[in-house]
Amino acid sequence: MIEVVAKLLRGPVFLTGEVMECVITFTNPMTARSTSASSEMLAWASAQIHCQFHTSESRVALPPSEDTKHDVQAENETVFVPNRGERGKCILATPPKILFCDLQLDPGESKSYSYCEPVPLDGPPSFRGQSVKYVYKLTVGCQRVNSAIKLLRVPFRVFVVYGLEDYQFPPDEAVAPTNPFLDEDENIKKDTRLVDLATEMLMTSTSRRSLHLYNITNMRGKVGKFCIFKTIYKIGEDVVGTFDFSEGDIPCLQFSVSLQTEEHVQEEYQRKPGQPVSLSTHARHQESCLHTAKTHFSLPIPLSATPSFITTVVSLKWRLHFEFVTARDPVEPPTVLENQSEIITWTGAGKIDVDTFSWDLPIKVLPTNPVLASYVSQFASSNSITI
Amino acid sequence: MYFLSGWPRRLLCPLKGSEKPFHIQPDSRRLVFALLSQTQISLWYSRPSVLIVSYKESAKAASQFGSYERTEWKPDSSMIAVATANGYILLFDIVCSGQEKCLYEPVYPKGNPRVKVTPGYKEEQCAPSLTVEMKKVLDFQAKITSLQSMQDDLVIATNDGILHLIHWDGLTNGRKAINLCSVPFSVDLQSSRGPSLDFESVHIQDMEYGSTLDGFAVVFDDGRIGFVTPVSSKLTAENLHGVWAQEITDGTCVAVNNKYKLMAFGCANVFGAHLFCTLGGDFAHYSDGTKKEPMKISSMIHSTYLESNWPIKFAAIDQLGQCVAVAGKYGIAHYALFTRKWKLFGNITQEQNMAVTGGLAWWNDFIVLACYNLVDQQEELRLYLRSSNLDNVFAHITKVQSETLLINVFKDMVILFRVDCSICLYSIDRKDDGPNPTASVQVLQEVSMSRYIPHPSLVVSITLTSVRTETGITLKMPQQACAAESIMLNLAGQLIMLQRDRSGPQVREKDSVSKQKKLLPFCAPVVLAQCVENVWTTCRSNKQKRHLLEALWLNCGEAGMKVWLPLFPRDNRKPHSFLSRRIMLPFQINIYPLAVLFEDALVLGAVNETVLYDNLYTRNNEKEPLEVLFPFCTVERTSQIYLHHILRQLLVRNLGEQALLLAQSCVTLPYFPHVLELMLHEVLEEEATSREPIPDPLLPTVAKFITEFPLFLQTVVHCARKTEYALWNYLFAAVGNPKDLFEECLLAQDLDTAASYLIILQNMEVPAVSRQHATLLFSTALEHGKWDLCRHMIRFLKAIGAGELETPPPTPTHQEPSSTGGFEFFKHRSISFSQSVEGLSASKFNLQKTLSMPSGPSAKRWSKDVDSAENMYIDEMLWRHARRLLEEMRLKDLSSFAAQLGFELIGWLSKERTRAARVEDFVKALKRLHNDFLWPVPVIPSSCLVNSPFKNGKYKTVGEQFLNSQSTEPFVTSDLESGVINAHAGHICLSLNTAHTQTDSGSLQGPQTQDAILSPLLSKGDECSIGSATDLTETSSMVDGDWTMVDEGFSALSLTQSDLEYISMELANKGPRKSQVQLRYLMHIFMEAGCLEWCMIIALILRDSAVICQIISSIQHSEVPTDILQGIKSGMLAVDGWALADCPGYKPFLNRIKPQLQKLNEITEEQIQPEAFQPLSRVSISKTVEAPSSWTEDNRNAASHINSSQNDGSGITSRPEDDGQEEEEEQQLEDEGSYECSVS
Repeated sequence: MIEVVAKLLRGPVFLTGEVMECVITFTNPMTARSTSASSEMLAWASAQIHCQFHTSESRVALPPSEDTKHDVQAENETVFVPNRGERGKCILATPPKILFCDLQLDPGESKSYSYCEPVPLDGPPSFRGQSVKYVYKLTVGCQRVNSAIKLLRVPFRVFVVYGLEDYQFPPDEAVAPTNPFLDEDENIKKDTRLVDLATEMLMTSTSRRSLHLYNITNMRGKVGKFCIFKTIYKIGEDVVGTFDFSEGDIPCLQFSVSLQTEEHVQEEYQRKPGQPVSLSTHARHQESCLHTAKTHFSLPIPLSATPSFITTVVSLKWRLHFEFVTARDPVEPPTVLENQSEIITWTGAGKIDVDTFSWDLPIKVLPTNPVLASYVSQFASSNSITI
Repeated sequence: MYFLSGWPRRLLCPLKGSEKPFHIQPDSRRLVFALLSQTQISLWYSRPSVLIVSYKESAKAASQFGSYERTEWKPDSSMIAVATANGYILLFDIVCSGQEKCLYEPVYPKGNPRVKVTPGYKEEQCAPSLTVEMKKVLDFQAKITSLQSMQDDLVIATNDGILHLIHWDGLTNGRKAINLCSVPFSVDLQSSRGPSLDFESVHIQDMEYGSTLDGFAVVFDDGRIGFVTPVSSKLTAENLHGVWAQEITDGTCVAVNNKYKLMAFGCANVFGAHLFCTLGGDFAHYSDGTKKEPMKISSMIHSTYLESNWPIKFAAIDQLGQCVAVAGKYGIAHYALFTRKWKLFGNITQEQNMAVTGGLAWWNDFIVLACYNLVDQQEELRLYLRSSNLDNVFAHITKVQSETLLINVFKDMVILFRVDCSICLYSIDRKDDGPNPTASVQVLQEVSMSRYIPHPSLVVSITLTSVRTETGITLKMPQQACAAESIMLNLAGQLIMLQRDRSGPQVREKDSVSKQKKLLPFCAPVVLAQCVENVWTTCRSNKQKRHLLEALWLNCGEAGMKVWLPLFPRDNRKPHSFLSRRIMLPFQINIYPLAVLFEDALVLGAVNETVLYDNLYTRNNEKEPLEVLFPFCTVERTSQIYLHHILRQLLVRNLGEQALLLAQSCVTLPYFPHVLELMLHEVLEEEATSREPIPDPLLPTVAKFITEFPLFLQTVVHCARKTEYALWNYLFAAVGNPKDLFEECLLAQDLDTAASYLIILQNMEVPAVSRQHATLLFSTALEHGKWDLCRHMIRFLKAIGAGELETPPPTPTHQEPSSTGGFEFFKHRSISFSQSVEGLSASKFNLQKTLSMPSGPSAKRWSKDVDSAENMYIDEMLWRHARRLLEEMRLKDLSSFAAQLGFELIGWLSKERTRAARVEDFVKALKRLHNDFLWPVPVIPSSCLVNSPFKNGKYKTVGEQFLNSQSTEPFVTSDLESGVINAHAGHICLSLNTAHTQTDSGSLQGPQTQDAILSPLLSKGDECSIGSATDLTETSSMVDGDWTMVDEGFSALSLTQSDLEYISMELANKGPRKSQVQLRYLMHIFMEAGCLEWCMIIALILRDSAVICQIISSIQHSEVPTDILQGIKSGMLAVDGWALADCPGYKPFLNRIKPQLQKLNEITEEQIQPEAFQPLSRVSISKTVEAPSSWTEDNRNAASHINSSQNDGSGITSRPEDDGQEEEEEQQLEDEGSYECSVS
């Protein structure tokens, strides 16, 4: 028996282009004193990153693949196919790297290998939508002599930070040291630089605040004002907005704000022409606001949500979806006169004829620091099998 | 604890009028609030916040009554009383109007999708329709100063010093009046007749009734404050008794907290302190109490549930921090983090028929809750399984006899506190017999607490714990450490503990086996602490962290936190008689604690943060927007360490041994060094800055305590660097001489810490001393390859030389761990070596220049003050170090050293060509290089070794990945001597892109079987040689993001046994690519410097015959000292001998370069003669060293000498080589290295 444990030290979230490091440990769990203890042999182990692409039959129509026999390999358990047994197609794969050949582990012995591989720069972000799924995995294959290959899969999450390529390494950095005895720590530095750079870029693009004011009007008149302080957010942030109904002509009874994503299949891949986008709501705020002058909402963008992105097949856009319930007739506020000889009582109306209308405000949602996102990832950063 | 969130909401009165509202009074359930203006009373619903009804007095009545002043609700909200300026009380009836049930009901147009809303939604979103009718007017003929509802009565205080009691219906009982003068006041309730006070001319200005206090807290108009209580149940003048607070004369207002039996009096005008009331948030924030990282997750409660059941009253999180359950007005809902989904009742009727009364808790996968069943009108205890549908079908329901107020779970027990003041314990059992697991509960024990609890609503929390007063029992019987030993009950802030009574006859082991476990009774309650808001204990156990896990943690509001810490005798010996078993230690934190992470010695808590938005509004609007008036409030969750407080308290109390035990259990925590530092710093600051002499200073004790940890040296210096210079003498007087500490650091090889001490020394000692220490540190840093430190030391030493000592260098280079403990570090007071940006980048730049111009500008490195003796001194040290490395054959270390410090290697090597750069022992050098560069010794293909004695030798691979390998075993060294493959004969095939491995042996040649070890041919298989495992599939498809390319060339790797063997071979024969680049670079350096012996060795290891040719030809064409030639010759002989004896893998290459070696022999033979006759030649050579290109071409001598010695020693016959193949391999090797070798 050999235990194989793969551990992503930095946590299971990475940027494209970032080097992922996985420590893979092979252990012979028998204690040396155990009577049945014996040395264990592994012929080889190899590791590879791939991205699996899965589509919903009812929403996405992909042109027939030229190579229809792509599943032949999947049956063969003596061939290292990282996505063996998985649904969908492998759209990205790094070259497999051999960790070792002919590993012998004495009882109690344990060996670790560090697998380092950059996450391909041109890949899509991890996404589990209603029409498509992009799932990244690191697969460790290992084989005993004359047995089937065993696969250990470590799913991880990938962010795409658009525009980072242009932002990357300033020209003076390009002059790398030519002394081969200096570059030891250079790679590590370069990698943390990538995360730092991305974090910095995300910070600059999301930290700027400015007032965005919108007048809410329907065909009957002015309802109120909406104010939002920025339109670009990072996941994990709160979307904060305020309403001012004090100067509206049309009373607003209720409003709701939903934080939604629109998953749009590109036209050429739509199963039915003109099929609607798939919507999902991540947070919602509803409030009755009939006698409210000013109110606000704060909707958290889940850290687990996928930021805005676009691929050739699908695009994901974020928006705030508003719904308003407004009175059909404008109400002139009654005036309470002073010094009346009679007692005056005023009671609210029992029923109000209403209209409903909605409005969408697109916003941009960007990724965040992958280390931060690792804290709440649903993936464990360590997986194991026993072979 | 209240936290503000967001901005306040601003309401808009739909009526226009000139009167401004000035007074708000909510009803007892906070559903409706009354708003007063001068002559108008309005009722608002609180959620949604809409105006229900408004009543305005007629002009005539208004002038009679005077303007409205204050108001009070009847407890059942059916009436409201208004006090007016002219001493009238107006009583209004509040009636639900008959026709319309609710107000502002939206009527949607037909076909509108909003019509289909959830059942119950309509009512929840609408305000009830109410009317206000004047019922009675009472004239008190004096100014009304306060009015207060008390059960069925209304108490009115007037400014003539009389308390009036009227019945709410105002008719049946008439009214009573009590003159304050007749009420006896004393300083406490016991002394019934205290000093009589003069209450002749005073009246009550403000009062509030406290139901659990059973009386009024009052404020008199002269600022005195007091409390009035009826001695018996009847509120009559004869029965009243008062207590007044001495010395307070500035009371203005009062508020009562019934839960905690608190009266709060406002004394003094309050300036600018606004109190907000939030109506409750829609967000659930959880900080997980079990994991190490404080989680920051916020999740919105499902809106469907929230809309119909607002507000959320209870929430509970499970042990793993993965599942959350909430309960609002009716029903429950739960959420799992891993699925990110809410589960609501499938049947809404079931949800609306159940109201959680006593809270909820998780028991493994079950939600345990105490609720009221609205249909059966029955109190129940229910268990719902998380994984099944939320439906009563899957619930386990137990009837409970009276209302449950509190619920908690401890292990497999549920504890309930009921409205009848009794505690009930249940056991829970899981049953897995059905398709779904079920759970059942069984009553274990009931304890009546009515004797101790005056009112059930005073109980804040109830917990079962394993905590006992005496730790001795748990020591003897560790299995009991986690038993439900005691009940902790928070009674209005008093923490009461009920321990199991073990004084009676103990139940024997065999008795307890019987099915009905007899539970021990509880002892009489003991009060543990006062002013307790929250209690934390755990039932987890960890032998290593018993102090932390078996402690009881308390949050005591203003008094901070407290820990009831168990004390253990060392080594489990009998405790000292004087040692108490537990100790209560207070400590302060500056967050509001929400959870205690026991094992991590952390408190998680919350603080209110604010974000300003006001800067966005630059143009002045007519009205100030809310965003400008108020900051946006958020609740931030954070963590805090507290261990230093506890350790210090223990040390103060002479419990050093306990402190040590506790601290030792925490050394692995990442912030433990910080804990020690904080403790030292705090004590230092306090004692060193104290104005008065401290009779019994703690600093020496703390210092001694810290010496128990290896972190001592580091802790002291970090603390010193964060402390003002003025306090250093005080500090080092306690902890020891910094010079000694510096030396200890060197001994412990903790160079970074030693560097920190150097800064201390620099400030405290004369320059000569710091220089001496700096030199010591520099040479140690060189030895350890601490390049950053070396660079700093060079600067430091130079600075001393340049007389810059007077101005301490400014910027810090060592990142100190940042403070989280709440004290300010002295950020401005940081000292360091670094003065300029001259660092790594500069040295890199120099090195590049060095490469291109070997002898020139690199010398400029120190050109700034070339004359400086300091520079000479530093250079001497660098040379000495380089010489040592070279003599020890540590080429890799030497190169790193040169690269990192910008040491000009070529020039120096040229000088050392005939000295340190000589190689005495080629074999040793070769082995050393193999070792240092992880370069495998060559291996002969296995098929050649059928009869080899190395057949069973172990074989290991070395690949590129191994550079990063974490393997515990150095993979190369052990196998260097016998790097022989042990595998089956076979063939090699590599399949790329295709799945089917065609192992056609004919298509590729296997290694030819050879005679013996002598000269195995490298098979043609080498033609498809692979540099490293990575290259294996570089040609395979690398599909980009375009999915249409999927499958066309999917990369798969298929390996057969023979493939493996082949790859193994390749990996075995070639080291990591990086080493190759480095070796080639070195070769270039040594070639430039003319160190031919080393060149030979590197050429050997690279197995590069071309380079050997170059060396030989350079020997032929230039004047090389004879002893070097001799050295090369004998060295090669030695290598040959070693290869023969120990490393046959080298033989093929040695054979291949035999012609070159023969040439070498010829040259040496030839040169021996001239040397004999020209003893001065050596001198001339050393002169020409500086310009190797000027070497004159030597005459070629025809004299040849067969390398007899080589053949003599080995007895090997050589075979003619296949030159073409060799050529190819060489070509390949050259391509892979990035440096071309050429000798000028």
